[in-house]
Amino acid sequence: MVVRPKLLNAQAFLESLCCFSFSVSTLYLVTSGQYLAYVTPRMKPYLYFTAAVMLLWSWTGLGRPPQHKTRSAHCLVLALPILLLLLPHGPLSTSDLSYAFARGGGARSGDSTPGGPDISEIGDLPDLSAIPDPSDILDPSDIPDLSELLSGESPPVPQDSVASAALSGLDASAKRITISDGEFYPWLEEMFMNPDTYAGYAVKMTGFVLKDPELLQPDEFVPARLVMSCCVADLLPYGMICKYEKTEELQNDTWVTVEGVIHITEENGYREPQARITAITPAAAIEGYIYPF
Amino acid sequence: MRIPVYVVTGFLGSGKTTFLNALLDEGDDISKLVVQFEAGEASLGKAYAENLVFSKKTLELKPETVVRRLEESLENGNFDEIWIEWNGFAPFSQLLAILLDPALKKFCKISKVLHVAEAAQLNSLIGRSGSVLLEQIANCDFAVLRNGREDDKNKDKDKNKEKETAKAALRAVNEGLPVYDASSCKNVYKELFEKRRAPLTFFFLSILLTVWLYIVGKPFLELAEIPVNKCVNVFLGIALQAVPFLLIGVHLSSAIEIFVSRSAIERRFPKTIGMGMLTAIASGFCLPVCDCASIPIFRSLVRKGVPLPAAVTFMMSAPVINPVVILSTYYAFSGNLRVVAERILLGVLCSVSIGLAVRSSKTKKTLLPREGIDALLCRCGCYESLGSVLGVREKIGLFFRHAQAEFFDVGKYLMVGILVSSIFQASGVTVFASWRSGSGLAISTAVLMLAGFMLSLCSSSDAVVARSFANQFPPGAVMGFLLFGPMMDVKNFMMLSHSFPKGFVVKLSIVAFAVCFAAVFVFFDFFLIM
Repeated sequence: MVVRPKLLNAQAFLESLCCFSFSVSTLYLVTSGQYLAYVTPRMKPYLYFTAAVMLLWSWTGLGRPPQHKTRSAHCLVLALPILLLLLPHGPLSTSDLSYAFARGGGARSGDSTPGGPDISEIGDLPDLSAIPDPSDILDPSDIPDLSELLSGESPPVPQDSVASAALSGLDASAKRITISDGEFYPWLEEMFMNPDTYAGYAVKMTGFVLKDPELLQPDEFVPARLVMSCCVADLLPYGMICKYEKTEELQNDTWVTVEGVIHITEENGYREPQARITAITPAAAIEGYIYPF
Repeated sequence: MRIPVYVVTGFLGSGKTTFLNALLDEGDDISKLVVQFEAGEASLGKAYAENLVFSKKTLELKPETVVRRLEESLENGNFDEIWIEWNGFAPFSQLLAILLDPALKKFCKISKVLHVAEAAQLNSLIGRSGSVLLEQIANCDFAVLRNGREDDKNKDKDKNKEKETAKAALRAVNEGLPVYDASSCKNVYKELFEKRRAPLTFFFLSILLTVWLYIVGKPFLELAEIPVNKCVNVFLGIALQAVPFLLIGVHLSSAIEIFVSRSAIERRFPKTIGMGMLTAIASGFCLPVCDCASIPIFRSLVRKGVPLPAAVTFMMSAPVINPVVILSTYYAFSGNLRVVAERILLGVLCSVSIGLAVRSSKTKKTLLPREGIDALLCRCGCYESLGSVLGVREKIGLFFRHAQAEFFDVGKYLMVGILVSSIFQASGVTVFASWRSGSGLAISTAVLMLAGFMLSLCSSSDAVVARSFANQFPPGAVMGFLLFGPMMDVKNFMMLSHSFPKGFVVKLSIVAFAVCFAAVFVFFDFFLIM
């Protein structure tokens, strides 16, 4: 046999290059934490797996003999996402969404589910029961420990009202709750699960102003945060409706820290807590989304 | 300027030499070197300046002799063109290795490769003659199809049918291959001397176009109420979520393809209909194959005498109810067990119904006009058939390549699907939403089922996309998407049409659509009344 010179298979080389770049991009996204702008922390092990497979593929593809007919279009499968990652784009701003929801549905407070069928959809259907009960989707008891095992991260949602002991910021003697930014979601979930427990409590929390003429009264707004339950495609504002006489003066999407007193209202047959605002102060924007799972 | 090389490949007896003679007769004033790697029945005419002939033995044992003699000829002669008649039994990569040898590379360069095939012969050979023929077909720039010999008294109708079958077979191996009739020399010449595009042009052009669109087109797109920033975010979100599941899917399907023998799977199917159905469902449940993998298995099931209803039930149920799909549905719907249960239950119900509905259909004989290329037809770009690969090491290599090829193949449809879906999402789904509003379950279900058909998502990741539709559509419609999408879509339709008569595939699609629609409507409407 002659000693064969190393022959380059252009297609195999391009495939390997794309796999390698995809592996590096994925690793970078995960290690830098930037992946959280697109998917939830639950995807972390899967993304490591992806990076590993891509790295392996970039190596296994190299030994192929040369071929005359070279195809390249299929490499766009990997090249396109990498390219889009590199092209300048920002995280979704709240205005991206409130605009979309102003027409479509909107920030529901209370037992509405970020990610569940949008409540406003129900209006289009003859009967409510067609929609799986939204609380089915978010009810933490529905999520078996499987998710914990697979993702290696425990869900931050308290399992029952006793879990409020695990949440910080509760001053039971003064009937006051100061919600830290990290506990926005679990605290609100807790209050919506057990509204009666917290009636009369003073509450303090930070979110962006969401006013919606279609869903809310003129004197109502929601200090909301964006919740991602699966990926960036399902971002939804989440928060508690607040009664405030000067709602008109508030600007949509500005960040505020609100203080108010919780009371129970009944709307569409749902008992839910709302807050009567006692004080509003401007706040710094909170980076990132909330991941309920 | 290097001398252009024109290569003619084809199986022994396909008529390479005859066709080469016809080509050589053109252009009298051109000095041609003709290199033959086999001496066939026909002899070469006289329209050349020099003729070199190498036996298969020399080629295999002393390739360096071939390189040396070619080098000598090229140094001494003054040729305008080199024509090569390649051996029908030798891998094409062998020729490439010779021509890319540094000693020859400086003299000449492959310009075009054409494959000559005789229709009837190709139909009987393909899939049975090992990897060499497939590799040759896959590497040619275009093919020339001859149709019968002169003494052949076949009727024209049969000939045409033969030709169409052969054409489909060629294109199954080499997608989009131009195929010409041997009699239309004009087209063959045009194709031969047309300049080849640089191999990676398409790839880099697409990249440039995307960047250009992003920079220049962005303001215009935003004027048309397509928020580009949101599109990009949503696209990346769904892609990052879908790719890992697709990876799991292709590895499992590749493992089955490579490590599990077909006969073992086929043996599990009892011959009675009832038990067959049950086994089909059970296998569908156990085998983590997505729709693209279940179709080759379906083919072999039918061929091995498994009753059609059971085979169809398997093909329809496997992509909907297998563990990978269940897991991805569970995650995509944020742990909503109800959606998972509905998908499994209705998936089983629908696939059994579809299986029973096609019971009256044609027998397997008419269903399988062409046998053979199934393992290689996975469009995976690897020509080694399983039969020729025996060692564990090679099998593992094949396993990865198969998985990778399948990933790229299915990934194309996935990315297009995600792109379309992200544009819908970002622009507020105005089109679909307007159809939905006020039209109730029937129309929105039909719309989403149609979307499922068009998007051709891999069933191991379609739940993520379905989930993103859940904000705009009622749960029944989303369930229609989750059921019908994996069972039948553009990609499956095309794959099935490769191996089955169009009529059967169309019928199967319509039945599947009707059954899924009815199931969704009855189930969710019933729930509404409750």
